[in-house]
Amino acid sequence: MSYSRIVVLFGIATSIVFFAISTMLFSRSSLSEQNSSKLETFGGHTPGYPILTTTGDVIDPMNSVINPKNAVVDPMKYLREFNYGRVSTSPNGTVIRDFTLIASDQHNKEVSPGVFYNVWTFNGTIPGPTIRATEGDLVRITLINNGTKFHSLHFHGIHPAEMDGVFEGIAPGGKFTYEFTAEPFGLFLYHCHMQPLEEHIGHGLYGVYIVDPKQGRAPADEMVMLMNGYDTDFDAENNFYTVNGIPFYYMHHPIQIEKDRLIRIYLVNILEFDPLNNFHLHANLFNFYKTGTKVVPDEYTDIVSLNQGERGILEFSYKYPGKYMFHAHKTEFAEKGWEGLLLVKDDKNESINQSLNVTPTVNNTGYSKNNFSNANIVPTGGYN
Amino acid sequence: MEREESKSNIRNTHGISKRTVLFGVIPIVVIGAMIILLLNSPGILFQSSVKPLPEISIEKVEFSDRGVVAFVRNTGPSNTTIAQADVNDRIYPAAVEPNKILTRLADAKVIIPFVWNTGEPYKIGITTEDGTRFEKAVKTAAPAPHPTAQQASTFAIIGTYVGIIPVMMGLVWYPFIRRLSPNKYNFFLSLTAGLLVFLGIDALLESNEIAVNALSSAFNAQILIVMVAIITFISLLYVSQRLIERATNRSKPEIQFNTGYSSNSEPDLEVSDTKSSSPTSFQRQLLVRPIAISMMIAIGIGLHNFGEGLAIGAAVLLGEVALSSFLILGFTLHNTTEGLAIVAPMAKSRRVPIKKLVMMGLIAGGPTIIGTWIGGFLYSPIASVIFLSIGAGAIFQVVYSIGSWMYQTNGSRGLLNNHWIIIGFAFGMLIMYLTGLLT
Repeated sequence: MSYSRIVVLFGIATSIVFFAISTMLFSRSSLSEQNSSKLETFGGHTPGYPILTTTGDVIDPMNSVINPKNAVVDPMKYLREFNYGRVSTSPNGTVIRDFTLIASDQHNKEVSPGVFYNVWTFNGTIPGPTIRATEGDLVRITLINNGTKFHSLHFHGIHPAEMDGVFEGIAPGGKFTYEFTAEPFGLFLYHCHMQPLEEHIGHGLYGVYIVDPKQGRAPADEMVMLMNGYDTDFDAENNFYTVNGIPFYYMHHPIQIEKDRLIRIYLVNILEFDPLNNFHLHANLFNFYKTGTKVVPDEYTDIVSLNQGERGILEFSYKYPGKYMFHAHKTEFAEKGWEGLLLVKDDKNESINQSLNVTPTVNNTGYSKNNFSNANIVPTGGYN
Repeated sequence: MEREESKSNIRNTHGISKRTVLFGVIPIVVIGAMIILLLNSPGILFQSSVKPLPEISIEKVEFSDRGVVAFVRNTGPSNTTIAQADVNDRIYPAAVEPNKILTRLADAKVIIPFVWNTGEPYKIGITTEDGTRFEKAVKTAAPAPHPTAQQASTFAIIGTYVGIIPVMMGLVWYPFIRRLSPNKYNFFLSLTAGLLVFLGIDALLESNEIAVNALSSAFNAQILIVMVAIITFISLLYVSQRLIERATNRSKPEIQFNTGYSSNSEPDLEVSDTKSSSPTSFQRQLLVRPIAISMMIAIGIGLHNFGEGLAIGAAVLLGEVALSSFLILGFTLHNTTEGLAIVAPMAKSRRVPIKKLVMMGLIAGGPTIIGTWIGGFLYSPIASVIFLSIGAGAIFQVVYSIGSWMYQTNGSRGLLNNHWIIIGFAFGMLIMYLTGLLT
């Protein structure tokens, strides 16, 4: 009798505690609704999709800019920034270009609005700085390893075995100068070649390496586009795809170009996990120079597919002004960040930027700052 | 020494010495101090540079003309921020209400303006600040029911079809059951037990499925099922005993009863009671206990049907089910047996007034309607798990009551010596299985 009473009391007490906890859990959301003063709109990127208002927080990677303090790169700056190194000339007349790359692997940076990822970087950004030389130059790159793991530099191109950065890793705190002649001309890339490669490349240790032909290329508005991805939850599938480091960046910051002006894009694919990536240009066709090793185009097309590590040079100009999309034609990549806009301007007086004439000009500072400043463009939604 | 202590215990006005009080207080003080220390200075004991992994549970996905709405809860060990949302792995702008920063166990609504297609499967993804993506798959997108009068009455009709009508129809068998011979009575009683055991296991499996699929491990939902079921079982056992006790004491000795059984363990002897002036407690129990058992069965089945209603409502809400007349037919057949379960124990008791029968039917069938409303309009997986477990505990309590009742009325023959009981039990489960195939 008293025993069963105890049991029942215990049961009742437990149920009371239990229901108290569960009601607490379920009422919490209503308690935290305090910031009802602000009303934001969101949605509407796609024609026909609803535009809604909310009292909550809007999360919109297609329209939001990362605080430059946290951003893994400034894609607009990276786009037209070519580093020619500290230039000197050897007694026999060879141009010597000295570069310094600092590897690090301990920092968390914002790779997409609101998403922080442990990035491994050369000189603090993904992608690392674009290194540019002319065929026949002596290129000297000093790698300083400020990270916690062994790192190395592996350049594509022709060079001796000991400059290949595969068998000799640079220990944390160590440094090493890679030295080779820039040959042949073409479009290359560099990346860390320590194993596991997937880890070192996946975290961001890569960049673009351009070797110009001695005679140069035709003057053009030149830009680099490096296609990559981030597997932020380590399931061997990319969560984000980008061109130049931040998903959707050029959707809200369209790349301004001039009508009828020759545009040259150095396009490199360093995507991990997915075997194939591609580039599709809207309302136009381009001349494609596979690996950039020839001066005659291989193809006249509006889409090019690149395997892992492949690259090529695109040349085109726009006949009509307006806003044009470029993106991976693999729609999954596009809708996870690899898409952008070109804004073709007609009016010559409308000073897009005087520094658009970025045909190869020798910059003597270590990490050249191209004085291209991105014009202030109001973020626009929609691809229409 | 000890004796002296016990003496001092006695001397204390409350019967407890100061020293005993001290022993009672010390653990509370020490544990309390530890809690304060750990909460106020994290890292004093464990210094770790590893941030605990976040965990987000997407508990429910609704499809409406606003787009797709995901109901998420932070079930990880620490605060986290929702960074991005996607549909089928394609990133879309979204809004998080009320706040994208989620404290531990806090919940939020992620609204994704997305034009979805009815009947297509979708995967909704939520990415947290550290880049971890959590996904919830929806088999078929269907517009979420809104708590409109029309939808509420649709649910009420479904609940009536599935819950009330079949149970009532089962009750109609009452006069038929009353005419049964003791062996057939035993058969029907054990059939009832079989039906109920099936329902109880079904409820446990169902709640386990929700616990595994829809709830994060932070809730320990599987152990919750067992816990709730056991607590319900013992609580209802206590309640039913009190109910029987009170009814037994109240029942008037003058009542004429016509039972097939008596305490002399001769089951088929007709007792035209010689002791009607002063029946024993057991004889009185023979009269009232079946009704009490039936009432408990009605309550247990009511809880079960409440869970069933939750499941039906939720299935409509989650778009996992297109309610077809075939499905409703299946539930109807399935539930008719529940009415039988209610009347079976009362076969040999005094006649039960129709009013009481109807009440039992409503207690057993009515909760289906309430269940469909709650499940359809305010679906919450944790509530479903709790209600289903309560239902399971209630049902097992009823099975226990039937078992002990049959054991007592069968006297020395025991339960498992009677082949009618074995067959009835097996048959009961089989009926449930076969009618369950229809749903």
